[in-house]
Amino acid sequence: MDRIIQTLVDAVSVGGLYALTALGIGLIFGVMRLINFAHGELVMATGYTLLALFGMPLPVMLMGGLATAVLLALATERVAFRPLRGADPATLLISSFAVSFFLQKTLILFVDSRPKGIDFLPLLGRQIEIAGVRLQALQLVVIAVSAILLVGLTWFLRTTRFGLQMRAAAEDFRMARMLGVRANRVIATAFALSGLLAAAVSCLVVAQTGIVQPRMGLQLVIIAFVGTVIGGLGSLAGAATGGFLVGVATILLQALLPPDLRVFREAFVFLAVVLVLLFRPQGLFPARGLKERI
Amino acid sequence: MNGAAPLLGVSGLSIRYGAIEAVRGVSLEVGANEVVAIVGPNGAGKTSLLSAIAGVVLPAAGRIEFDGQPLAGLALEDVVAAGIALVPEGRHIFATLTVEENLLVGATIRDDAAAVRADIDRFFATFPILGQRRSQPAGQLSGGEQQQLAIARALLSRPRLLMLDEPSLGLAPAVIDQVYVLIREIREGGVAILLVEQNAERAFSVADRVHVMSGGVFALSGTPAELHRDPRFDAAYFGIGMA
Amino acid sequence: MTRDLLRRLWPLLVLAAIVLAVALVFSFLPAVPQRRATQALINLVAVVGLYVFVGNSGVLSFGNVAFMALGAYVSALLTMKAAAKSVFLPDLPAFLASAEWPNFPGAIAGGIAAALFALVVGWPLMRLSGIAASIATFAVLVITYVVLGNWTAVTGGQNSLMGLPIYAGLWTAAAWAVAAIVIAFLYQETRSALLLRASREDEAAAAASGVPMVRHRLIAFVISGFLSGIAGVLLAHFLGTVRVETFYLDLTFLIVAMLVIGGMGSLTGAVAGALVIAALTEALRLAEIGVDVGGTTIAAPAGLGDAILALVMLLIILFRPKGIAGGREISWPFGSRG
Repeated sequence: MDRIIQTLVDAVSVGGLYALTALGIGLIFGVMRLINFAHGELVMATGYTLLALFGMPLPVMLMGGLATAVLLALATERVAFRPLRGADPATLLISSFAVSFFLQKTLILFVDSRPKGIDFLPLLGRQIEIAGVRLQALQLVVIAVSAILLVGLTWFLRTTRFGLQMRAAAEDFRMARMLGVRANRVIATAFALSGLLAAAVSCLVVAQTGIVQPRMGLQLVIIAFVGTVIGGLGSLAGAATGGFLVGVATILLQALLPPDLRVFREAFVFLAVVLVLLFRPQGLFPARGLKERI
Repeated sequence: MNGAAPLLGVSGLSIRYGAIEAVRGVSLEVGANEVVAIVGPNGAGKTSLLSAIAGVVLPAAGRIEFDGQPLAGLALEDVVAAGIALVPEGRHIFATLTVEENLLVGATIRDDAAAVRADIDRFFATFPILGQRRSQPAGQLSGGEQQQLAIARALLSRPRLLMLDEPSLGLAPAVIDQVYVLIREIREGGVAILLVEQNAERAFSVADRVHVMSGGVFALSGTPAELHRDPRFDAAYFGIGMA
Repeated sequence: MTRDLLRRLWPLLVLAAIVLAVALVFSFLPAVPQRRATQALINLVAVVGLYVFVGNSGVLSFGNVAFMALGAYVSALLTMKAAAKSVFLPDLPAFLASAEWPNFPGAIAGGIAAALFALVVGWPLMRLSGIAASIATFAVLVITYVVLGNWTAVTGGQNSLMGLPIYAGLWTAAAWAVAAIVIAFLYQETRSALLLRASREDEAAAAASGVPMVRHRLIAFVISGFLSGIAGVLLAHFLGTVRVETFYLDLTFLIVAMLVIGGMGSLTGAVAGALVIAALTEALRLAEIGVDVGGTTIAAPAGLGDAILALVMLLIILFRPKGIAGGREISWPFGSRG
């Protein structure tokens, strides 16, 4: 029984991380139809900032990490993606790919490509006992942070004026502009928010793994991206849900698959993506009232 | 036409898509209280004309002036602040947003929240069915209801000129009646209207002046009464024998 | 008549001549530059393979490296000496464990295996549109990577397979490069390819006119699979080892970058991209080694080459999206109509 609860908590915490990452990807896709592969590099950049600022007080480290992610996100939007607004999806896809690789390879020039250890928030490694079950404090923090960010973002999008404008722009960009919604502001905000999400995820991952390495964002983004597709590229709730489910699935598959098949669990996840694309391309949780997206 | 300066003045407008000239040297005016209609078959250039005024496409040549100010090169987002609202062909309502949220987006450029609320309440009072559905996703509305919503949304920016592109497209006759009732009311409210329609009869029923557009130019112009009597109308509409 | 034929075949003849010229020049150079040129020509085969699908269908595929992997592993398994196989792959099924095929049949088998894989995978996927298809091909890449990387009995899993016959030298690679160019050129002149390219512009019109796009896309995909498989075979028998890690994201990026920079729309673009990038990476590699100036070495930091490649790709996308070749083939320079 204990094991089951621990596995579930583990699944929910991993699901939370992937939900946040998927949301970051979904936000940008919503307003620009761009699948931002470079999101992984935001996670990486924050990680290396934490490394660089190590030893300073925690708020400084966190703010530094946040600033890096947000500024980098805004920079990539301004320099690489703004000139491409309105380009066809294939061009956007390739350029996103290129930006991601450029950032990755450029960073490697300045740092080692070997993984670096970092003892970040070691207190969270403690075990806590809740109702007789031993859980890691970090997992609970991950769940809490994910929930707070998801709720906060939902509140922002659903109740504020600007959030409404962003949702309108995500659905029909040109029509929103025709009603006065400012394109640049909406897109910049989407990128800034995705930077915020990437920074949060990065801090949590660094605390969890204790390692910073150039590829740390890649795995996260690939899986989260899969979740976005499964959940539905057109809707933010779908993206977050899809990311969450895929995160949960990877943990549950780990626990439930026979040992021989366990190593193939990523293949199963990607097979699920293909099936979704074939039979339900709008995703499992498309936005209400919407027809096909892709 | 009265002697006062027109609200909207377009002269010598040309619009090109690559090698194709969709609009060739068109001039028109809309006065502050007028309804001007542009009728013509598909592909005549009507939508391109509206798109240029709304800032969606850049004209190859010509001038557009609104309220004495040139409009050329204005960004899309700024045109509505200038006082022009476009309801594009196909309605383009935000299907995943609620009916009420759609209207709120229409009021993006306004900062008088109380007046916006009053406008919205008034709209729901006039259209109680839509009022009932105010919290439903707009994608669940019928075609006619969506058209009414799209028009109301455009009006929420309190424009001085409302441009409508094919408001009757794809709608049943009874529904079109309702839409045109709305158009007449808007006209009573003092908003100028530039209307593009394939359905000439409907346009005639509400317009002060009509231009017949064919092949990128205005083949014929006049009041509905004049055009009704004009034997050249059919030919002009279908571009037969015209340059 | 002959003149017309010559004019139609002109791009093919020029591109083939360029490849042969490159091989000829490098055949006089020492071993290290020769190896670089060989690798460039192998990459050329891969880029041409990718082009056959992407250029004609307009759909970006991220999965071609999976076909390369398949070709490499199949050829390796068939041509490796039994003794080597028993060391690395003790659990191999008997018929594979004892197989010691000659090189050429092994290569063809690799290409065909990749083509069959493309057929199986493409059958459901080719009816997806644009972005969905691209995402699906990416999924194919990852699935292949995971499966090959963990099917330890057959592939050795994460470990390298070593001891492959090394026969992919300069002229072998050049020969296959020319063959790839010929196949790609002949294919793109077929009716199927022309229909496919026409549908690129307007999917709705093509569907309405009753053209069975799925079938034509699949044809392109399978041929692309074959050529990519051959590229994988060549890579394996050039390096002498096969590792699943080779056939993943970095190689995918390199091949895609070459095609984008050269120009996705024409065979000339594919060849141009491969050769230009090969030259560029070579220049950057020399810069990384450094130049001796008065006792000190001035060198670019390691890894600069990759960063610059990504930067060039971005610049091309921003400023010359059709690539170096601009979507056109090499034009006939001798004027029209005699």
